[in-house]
Amino acid sequence: MKQFTYTIQDEVGIHARPAGLLVKKAGEFASTVTMEANGKKGDAKKIMSIMMMGVKKGHEVTITIEGPDEDAAAEALEAFMKENL
Amino acid sequence: MGFLDGIFKKKGIVLGAYMEGRCVEIKEVNDPTFSGEILGKGAAIIPSDGKVYAPADGEISTVFPTGHAVGMMTEDGAEILIHVGLDTVELKGEHFTSHVEAGRKVKKGDLLLTADIEKIKAAGYDTVTPIVICNTDAFKSIEGMTGKEVKVGDDILQLSK
Repeated sequence: MKQFTYTIQDEVGIHARPAGLLVKKAGEFASTVTMEANGKKGDAKKIMSIMMMGVKKGHEVTITIEGPDEDAAAEALEAFMKENL
Repeated sequence: MGFLDGIFKKKGIVLGAYMEGRCVEIKEVNDPTFSGEILGKGAAIIPSDGKVYAPADGEISTVFPTGHAVGMMTEDGAEILIHVGLDTVELKGEHFTSHVEAGRKVKKGDLLLTADIEKIKAAGYDTVTPIVICNTDAFKSIEGMTGKEVKVGDDILQLSK
């Protein structure tokens, strides 16, 4: 299992576009990707579950990855968060 | 259930127009997030009025704090996102008024939000409003009935499981 946390820097938080891109990135991997933020937890491969969390600037997001390609997935997702959020 | 199955198979799940205007293919939307179907398949409406109504019966799952987008789960299990305008997240809520909140049960045709589309246009934004089926994979087919002027409630998308 791999896990990392990231604090959202984006002014408007996780809105439609970054949510869609995050799901797409998570979907590239076979591992399960779970996101926890704002007191909620959901599947990071599902757009609605991410958008329902209402993640805003300053919120801490925890991403947990579990599966055969968890190392590569953790690296890619952490880079994605830094670049887009 | 044989009788009901027959009816549903024939009609499938039909979503109604959520705004008045011209219904177009999602591929025509000038934003790769939508046209590339990254969020899912769907359609779009170029609105002539800024009122947004529920396209089907269901429950509101999320209202963006900025009021420019609303997500709902229909009774038939479609996860829908309606996103008013492109890049309108940048308006930070200005020109948008929400009429519902997460958890609210709605009927097809209930008013969800109001956008002042003239002011949004004047601020330099495209007001085209996509509807996306976020759980596209849960459906066998999603067909848009696009390329026509629509009134609120007119059929615009047909989904089959």
